[in-house]
Amino acid sequence: MANDYKIVDSLESLEEKIKQVKEAQAKFAKYSQEEVDKIFLAAALAANKARVSLAKMAVEETGMGVVEDKVIKNNYAAEYIYNKYKNTKTCGVIEEDKAYGIKKVAEPLGLIAAVIPTTNPTSTAIFKTLICLKTRNGIIISPHPRAKKSTIEAARIVLEAAVKAGAPEGIIGWIDVPSLDMTNMLMQSADTILATGGPGMVKSAYSSGKPALGVGAGNVPAVIDESSDITLAVNSIIHSKTFDNGMICASEQSVIVPEKIYKEVRDEFAKRGCYFLNPEETEKVRKTIIINDALNAKIVGQKAHTIAKLADVEVPEDTKILIGEVESTEVSEEFAHEKLSPVLAMYKAKDFEDSITKACKLIDGGGLGHSSSLYINAEKEPEKLEKFYSAMRTCRVLVNTPSSHGGIGDIYNFKLDPSLTLGCGSWGGNSVSGNVGVKNLLNVKTVAERRENMLWFRAPEKVYIKRGCLPVALEELKYVLNRKKVFIVTDKFLYENGYTKGITDKLDELGITHTTFSNVAPDPSLASAKEGAALMETFKPDCIIALGGGSAMDAAKIMWVLYEHPEADFYDMAMRFMDIRKRVYEFPKMGEKAYFIAVPTSSGTGSEVTPFAVITDEKTGAKYPLADYELMPKMAIVDTDLMMNAPKGLTSASGIDALVHSLEAYASMMATEFTDGLAMEAIKLIFEYLPRAYEKGAEDPEAREKMAHAATMAGMAFANAFLGIAHSMGHKLGAFHHLPHGVTVSLVIPQVMRFNAAEVPTKMGTFPQYEYPHTLRRYAQIAENLGIEGKDDQEKLDKLIAKIEELKATIGIKPSIKEYNISEEDFMATLDEMSEQAFDDQCTGANPRYPLISEIKDLYLKAYHGEK
Amino acid sequence: MFISLDNPIAERKTKTVYRDGDKTIKLFVENYSKADILNEALNQVRVEEGTDLNIPKLIEVSRIDNRWGLISEFVEGTTFAEKLEKEPENEEEILNQFVDVQLNILSKTVPLLNRMKEKYKRKINSLDITDNIRYELLQRLDGMKDHVKLCHGDFNPSNVVIKENGEVSILDWSHVTIGNASSDAANTYMQFIMDGKADRAEKYLEIFSVKSGINKNLVQRWIPIVAASRKAKGKEDEQELLDRWLDVLDYT
Repeated sequence: MANDYKIVDSLESLEEKIKQVKEAQAKFAKYSQEEVDKIFLAAALAANKARVSLAKMAVEETGMGVVEDKVIKNNYAAEYIYNKYKNTKTCGVIEEDKAYGIKKVAEPLGLIAAVIPTTNPTSTAIFKTLICLKTRNGIIISPHPRAKKSTIEAARIVLEAAVKAGAPEGIIGWIDVPSLDMTNMLMQSADTILATGGPGMVKSAYSSGKPALGVGAGNVPAVIDESSDITLAVNSIIHSKTFDNGMICASEQSVIVPEKIYKEVRDEFAKRGCYFLNPEETEKVRKTIIINDALNAKIVGQKAHTIAKLADVEVPEDTKILIGEVESTEVSEEFAHEKLSPVLAMYKAKDFEDSITKACKLIDGGGLGHSSSLYINAEKEPEKLEKFYSAMRTCRVLVNTPSSHGGIGDIYNFKLDPSLTLGCGSWGGNSVSGNVGVKNLLNVKTVAERRENMLWFRAPEKVYIKRGCLPVALEELKYVLNRKKVFIVTDKFLYENGYTKGITDKLDELGITHTTFSNVAPDPSLASAKEGAALMETFKPDCIIALGGGSAMDAAKIMWVLYEHPEADFYDMAMRFMDIRKRVYEFPKMGEKAYFIAVPTSSGTGSEVTPFAVITDEKTGAKYPLADYELMPKMAIVDTDLMMNAPKGLTSASGIDALVHSLEAYASMMATEFTDGLAMEAIKLIFEYLPRAYEKGAEDPEAREKMAHAATMAGMAFANAFLGIAHSMGHKLGAFHHLPHGVTVSLVIPQVMRFNAAEVPTKMGTFPQYEYPHTLRRYAQIAENLGIEGKDDQEKLDKLIAKIEELKATIGIKPSIKEYNISEEDFMATLDEMSEQAFDDQCTGANPRYPLISEIKDLYLKAYHGEK
Repeated sequence: MFISLDNPIAERKTKTVYRDGDKTIKLFVENYSKADILNEALNQVRVEEGTDLNIPKLIEVSRIDNRWGLISEFVEGTTFAEKLEKEPENEEEILNQFVDVQLNILSKTVPLLNRMKEKYKRKINSLDITDNIRYELLQRLDGMKDHVKLCHGDFNPSNVVIKENGEVSILDWSHVTIGNASSDAANTYMQFIMDGKADRAEKYLEIFSVKSGINKNLVQRWIPIVAASRKAKGKEDEQELLDRWLDVLDYT
């Protein structure tokens, strides 16, 4: 390559170079990790071998810095970077989780434009070329004119070693005769920019329109606290500040010392060869180091003695640092600037607070986002340390560490990534805040395979069934659960008609204290729940028994929540969620004070086995539907004796409710085989026994018992598979037009089933398990299970719907909303509001077809008129 | 139009300025760039037509004895430079007025004028300086904010005249551009220094900074760039100081 190498000295030749490196990079992108690691090793070794010659060359060419220190920088850039990243995966699959179906695949960014500063012309070149090789990126370097020879030489050495180890020819390029136009063109043509330099360069990089990892100037203040080891502090600062004649941007620019230890610190600096400028000399140095608020290029990286001489100040030849004792931290004070030379400002602070104030001010003046330094007894003064790091707007806060060495990482600390490009975060106008490394030079693709959600089946720990089981089950309160005080929640009708007697007699017999709250109304209100909870608070039960229909059980659940967690906010609890496991609100833990037992007296709601409860705020009329498995009763006692004498209206409304629960749970996107079995069996039982229970009531205990079981099974099904939009619509229809819940859902279910069965829905539901619109088949399965025959699924569905309508007619449910004496005018007046609210109901989420609000409206209209 | 050249009022290397009654004639030396002359005329007219600023109106672009000339209205009155000379005790007040005039200009924009950053870039590229310094200067320039404020470009007290009726007229629009206000202030500051008026320069900068709300250091960031532009004019005795001002690093 040496023979036909074309010099890059114009926009045209740069264009050619960019093309070449891009081609080389396209080949490099296909290399394996093994090949890349071999190249990375060879390049690091070659750079390390050249550390001395490159250091000498850099000092000779730029006239700045110290050869021996530049050797350390070169050595560091080769060795520490290699050591840090030798085992890092940067090619292909770097991470995989088979269970979750996730792969992370590392790809190169492409062409990197690297701007290299004069201050670290060889080490930064080594650093940037090495991390580009490790990540299969191409790189073109734009050197600074003042340091171009040594920068290019460093890049050439790395390139030759890389190519020898198998890298594509020309994977590293550079501009031989740098100009700003070429730098800008390079930045505009690259895929990412690695810009190290002053604010002007960083701004150019960011304004090029390409992603930039730009870093900026530092202005590091070092605060020495009274608790610190002063000798260590002063000598660390001298060590760091003299390193390469102060040319590392993380180097200390000022030292801030509280007055209590000021003299001691000053003496130590003086003792170790630092020169304190008198006021007149301070003024001379001031005007030498900074010209019109800018840094004099002639002092950068020079020895203290040389700078003093430029300022016409006499100091010993071996002076380590020139120290100006100054007061102002404003930018108008020359000593407050970044000086890139062994010139240090020293401030006397009143105390630690004042030290922090001064440090903040200095950082604001020119070192935002870079680094700050503190000397302290970190074990004894953790509060001070926290105060300091909280106040510093810097991305590195170095403690008891020479900051030049500390900021670049891995020398005086061991988890800060080694790097010669230090991010300054948003404070410094940067896109990165950490130390730049290979992670910044990779595109990490995530390959995410479709996975199904985990589902579950949850039910009360104890479900007791069969006629007459109540007293038997209650025995457990004494003999198993060891309960002493029971609070019974029920409604007035049940209480007055002696339904609680069976429970209280048994409790008396067992010697368990009890009290009864019987003030639950239909659609239980928050006020009545609070009333009950207040009584609980006085009575302090260790068990709650809810006796009744949905209202009593729901009210009891709410009282339970208020009793256990009086601070709970129902508005938060009722927040809509997409996935019960990802909900924002964390439901409080239940059951710590009282064991909850639900005893249903009607066959319908299933509340005894569900994690749901609805409560109405009587003041605003707002309904709070609560859903969380914490609300699941611990024990359900389903004793048909309590249901024998249910009136016809209740039997029909709650029975049909249970049917709709089963139909919706079966069609739900979250249905599983576990819930399917329950739903399917419940449907079969309801079709068979509901007409009998309705007609014969207490005379047909078998029908009563089957209906009781069907309702509880349906409850278990929808407690896990959830419901659908028949319930969304039913809830709002009931709220707006005051119809019994069971009636409302049964009025809309035929329309909803036709709607859900569409093979070409406007929008299908979103759930990984729901692969495509297949709800027609699901309904057909229900029909088949009921023995319905048909030539295709559509016919089976039609017949199923007809059977539902027939059942409704048999048990006295009217075929349309209209026939419940709701005028068209009233209905139309509420339709829009009702449709929107139904759309946003919690039950909508599990529906297999995602409804538009206009579609819900249409369904309501059809249900109103009883369209077939 | 007949023009009398009997009354020369200023003599420069490239041009002579004459007064003929209520007219000023700026006559350029032979072979002076036609483009520069027409550009100057165009700039002046753009400001004349594009703003409500009080400036001498351009009357004619002429050829007189093989030389190009720009004929404008003559503005009768006292310049701020003369005022500062005569009333040193009122320096503060005069500088305040001076800054007000500058800020009024900076509050305007004339979209078709040349862009300041491009002009400076050309100047820096034409200079005889090391690649290193050129690179630093261009980089500094590149990072500057690209505004479109009307910048006079040679705003010094001798270019501002107070007429007898109290109106203030602004002369010499040959360097006008649209760009960054800080740069125009940096230029004015530098002119005071080069005139040997360092104290006045500091006072001016302080007043400008307070009145404009622009931080002094933002103005100072432009100094190496305006110094480069001044260096291009090539005055011998200024070279050393200008060189010192140029050789700085972009690390503030």
